[in-house]
Amino acid sequence: MQPQILVLKEGTENAQGRQQVISNINACQAIVDAIRTTLGPRGMDKLLVDGKGKATISNDGATIMKLLDIVHPAAKTLVDIAKSQDAEVGDGTTSVVMLAGEFLKQCKPFVEEGVHPRLIIKSFRKATQLAVDKIKELSVKIGEGSGLGDHRGLLMKCAATSMSSKLIHAHKDKFSEIVVDAVQMLDELMPLNMIGIKKVQGGSLEETLLIAGVAFKKTFSYAGFEMQPKSYQKPKIAMLNIELELKAEKDNAEVRVDNVEEYQKIVDAEWDILYQKLDRIHQSGAKVVLSKLPIGDVATQYFADRDMFCAGRVVEEDLNRTMKACGGSIQTTVYDLNDQTLGSCESFEEKQIGGERFNLFTGVPKSQSCTIILRGGAEQFMEETERSLHDAIMIVRRAIKNDAVVAGGGAIEMELSKYLRDYARSIAGKEQLIISAMAKALEIIPRQLCDNAGFDATNILNKLRQKHAQANCWYGVDVLNEDIADNFEQCVWEPAIVKINAITAASEATCLILSVDETVKNPRSGGGDAGGMPMGGMGGGMPMGGMGRGMGRPM
Amino acid sequence: MALHVPRAPGFASMLKDGSKFFSGVEEAVVRNISACKEFSGTVASAYGPNGMNKMVINHLEKLFVTNDAATIIRELEVEHPAVKMMILGSQMMEQEVGDGTNFVIILAGALLSEAEELIRMGLKPTEIAEGYELALEKALADLEGLSCGEVKDPRDAKQVAKAVRSAVMSKQYGHEDFLSDLITKACISILPENTSFNVDNVRVCKILGSGLLQSDVVQGMVFKKTVQSNVIKQDKCKIAVYTCPVDQMQTETKGTVLIKTAKELTEFSRGEEELLENQIKAIADSGATVVVSGGKIGDMALHYMNKYNLMGVRLSSKWDIRRLCKSVGATPLPKVTPPTAEELGYADRVYVDELGDTSMVVFRLESAESPLATVVIRGSTDNYMDDIERAIDDGVNTFKGICRDGRLVPGGGATEMELARSVGKFGETLPGLEQYAVKNFATALTAIPRQLAENSGSKGRIAITSLATAHEQGQKNLGVNIDSDSSNVTMDAVENEILDLLMLKHWGLKYAVNAACTILRVDQIIMAKRAGGPKAKPSGPMDADDDE
Repeated sequence: MQPQILVLKEGTENAQGRQQVISNINACQAIVDAIRTTLGPRGMDKLLVDGKGKATISNDGATIMKLLDIVHPAAKTLVDIAKSQDAEVGDGTTSVVMLAGEFLKQCKPFVEEGVHPRLIIKSFRKATQLAVDKIKELSVKIGEGSGLGDHRGLLMKCAATSMSSKLIHAHKDKFSEIVVDAVQMLDELMPLNMIGIKKVQGGSLEETLLIAGVAFKKTFSYAGFEMQPKSYQKPKIAMLNIELELKAEKDNAEVRVDNVEEYQKIVDAEWDILYQKLDRIHQSGAKVVLSKLPIGDVATQYFADRDMFCAGRVVEEDLNRTMKACGGSIQTTVYDLNDQTLGSCESFEEKQIGGERFNLFTGVPKSQSCTIILRGGAEQFMEETERSLHDAIMIVRRAIKNDAVVAGGGAIEMELSKYLRDYARSIAGKEQLIISAMAKALEIIPRQLCDNAGFDATNILNKLRQKHAQANCWYGVDVLNEDIADNFEQCVWEPAIVKINAITAASEATCLILSVDETVKNPRSGGGDAGGMPMGGMGGGMPMGGMGRGMGRPM
Repeated sequence: MALHVPRAPGFASMLKDGSKFFSGVEEAVVRNISACKEFSGTVASAYGPNGMNKMVINHLEKLFVTNDAATIIRELEVEHPAVKMMILGSQMMEQEVGDGTNFVIILAGALLSEAEELIRMGLKPTEIAEGYELALEKALADLEGLSCGEVKDPRDAKQVAKAVRSAVMSKQYGHEDFLSDLITKACISILPENTSFNVDNVRVCKILGSGLLQSDVVQGMVFKKTVQSNVIKQDKCKIAVYTCPVDQMQTETKGTVLIKTAKELTEFSRGEEELLENQIKAIADSGATVVVSGGKIGDMALHYMNKYNLMGVRLSSKWDIRRLCKSVGATPLPKVTPPTAEELGYADRVYVDELGDTSMVVFRLESAESPLATVVIRGSTDNYMDDIERAIDDGVNTFKGICRDGRLVPGGGATEMELARSVGKFGETLPGLEQYAVKNFATALTAIPRQLAENSGSKGRIAITSLATAHEQGQKNLGVNIDSDSSNVTMDAVENEILDLLMLKHWGLKYAVNAACTILRVDQIIMAKRAGGPKAKPSGPMDADDDE
């Protein structure tokens, strides 16, 4: 027997055929099971410990999926759609994964029976299009003048719905107010980074406050700082990107002197340069001086003597926010300081919040920026609160941009389910079966809501089906009373775009997974380190957090 | 082999330890054929609109989900020498036409498996190869006569979309109308007056989120970046492009600034600032409102740019800069100098936009003809968007084909069936042994419609037989009906507007036959032991557009 010549490289793993499709579906199912209990107001949280031993408590689908570190190629798709939902709408990440999982589950029997996956895909695409059109048709406009009450109140309802499934649902009234106020302060692009979220340990959630303006932690300061006044009315603010310290003028400069007088002059000159800068800042009329770079103790003393306040090493994001809020611009030189480049605000003060001292700028003229100061106990708790707020902020932004809403709590899913089922009955062929399967799959959302709340899901679903059959299209699960209710009346609202994106993404993922009939895994190439790199680069941006902040370095 | 001459005491012993050696019809040819058959079987199920996707994880652990044969074979690391030859043929196809790679592999595989039968019958592989070449000539000649229409004006969106549609259909079945419209729009908008169409001028930008149907075409360029400056929107802007960092000048040679007096020291850094301010001011004075830099934009430079209301964009890729220059008509400057009027580019709008949570810089041109268009793809997973990108790529290549030769032939296996019929007829007129080869060539051609039918879930044999009867009766546009819902397995390809480029079939046939004949003519395989050193680069060209 001659030795075989391999067609593919040694070590290549290969799997194909219908089994492959089914095994992919099973893998996805396992992932979905991991997060299904987090859905809804009565959903439970997950505690995840990553490789470095850092614990995260969350019930945000996208966060959990990212931390799970999935390697199965098909299941990775689910992580991708969670990310996509996070990117596009920012909330509803658990629902999208659940839906995709359920779609796949409902398809499994068809695949096992030998229906060609392409046919399933085709029907799914059609059903998705129908569902999306239906959502658009059903959704209710909540824009100004829609006759549904004031716009702000409507937005608050959307925010409250988003938060009701999170850790902070007990305080959702307070937080929805904060979130809506915060978003409404932004300009028309509504950049997310203009809402600062600062966490201060201690106190309780109720003490969380929204500042219409900018707030950041007191920066590292040098001697003399305590002599500076800590509050001003209508100060002018200089925002700088200059190091106010004695320093070399240029890295590669060298001084050569041949006599003592000149040496003394050079030393004086260095001081002069610094004093000149300080003088110019003082002359400009600025009362508050902020700089990205360190402000040394000479400068601190100098400012203290002249009734001015300074803060060095301000984090760039904070400085940008200050600029947006107070006007002016960040200066890299002191020669252009004038009224245009200086910012201003009604009042500035340094305030003790919990164990931290904060610099607060309030009454800002442009007010396109705001800061939420979160209070709370455990670190993980606050991180989860921050994520929940992020979701709620995103929802409110979406609701402003696309002002159509639908009722949540499983109501829209039930209605779509009914619609698709009715539609399926009107057509012949295998499509009918598959579209009804999708209709059934949509029921997973109300079902899981009930399961998580400990209700009898079958019972509630039956009630819901009956109500929807009677054309009460907004009936959904009432988690508080273990019953069903008109969720539109109950003000459980979600932006239509959340649902549209969730269904589109879930269906795209389903189609992708179904259409794969073969997996070929090449052995990893020798240079081990090259491995994770290309994927890692594509990963979603990490939540911001004040990473770049340097520690106060003694001179 | 005569008995009394013993086989040379191990040809293998003359070679280095570990080399492999195969010879003879049984050992080399048949073995090669079976390897190729196995391989073509792997990609065959990806053929056509109803083809299944493959999940390929390459050696860098990057995941591909696709039914694009070119991608599959590029990422599969094929070891077998004969299979590599088949792949080479397919890669040629990718370069020449940009589509139809799977066609080559399936046809080559079918030709080889037909050849295997003939070899078992006793024909010499070389005779088969000759017969195949004869049949190819005939097929190519007949192909010319099958043309069922022509795209005369590549600017006519309707006609073009029709031709592009079939190419896209085989990649993204269900979205072909939407995608072909996108592609047509993008391609026609950038079609130059007289110079030839360049595939590279249709860019693709993938942004995670939303769904495919939200994809769009933008005249001009889109970068997944954000601007550095405070200005985020400019209308009717003149653009200055620099390949260097926009910052204070640094000397390449190590130098030291020598300061002798206190006065010099005090004036030094102010002088530097003023210098930079003058430079930036000069740029602003030249009329430029947007500055694009290939490198870092320094803090100080940025400061002055903000002061003079300039928008600053940083692009890190040299290719991006080159393309941007082409699209806005700017001359890249290697040094921070004020641009002359000719060196400035123009765009109607430059602005920052946000899709999903990705911010992007858009250079939009609103004039009728712009040299570059970007297709912004939306989708829920990276893999999905990659696959869409490949579909668009194929579509754009088809458009390129249309510009060169707009003749169309019926798709859906109709052309192959018709060729099979005429080549089969031709075979019967031949007197010699090549008759067998030519007839089997005809049978091999039916592999295409059969695979189409089988991938759609219908019975291949039934489809082939009913097609064969129909073609015999002169219905030469009849092809496989891939819509497996209906009971009818055949349909008229022209009526259903399933059209392929004639050029695609032409080259596809050529490359497939070439690959098959080359493999047939091999009678010995000698494989040296793989050296222990670092892995050699895979043969075949690296793709040039992989610039990330």
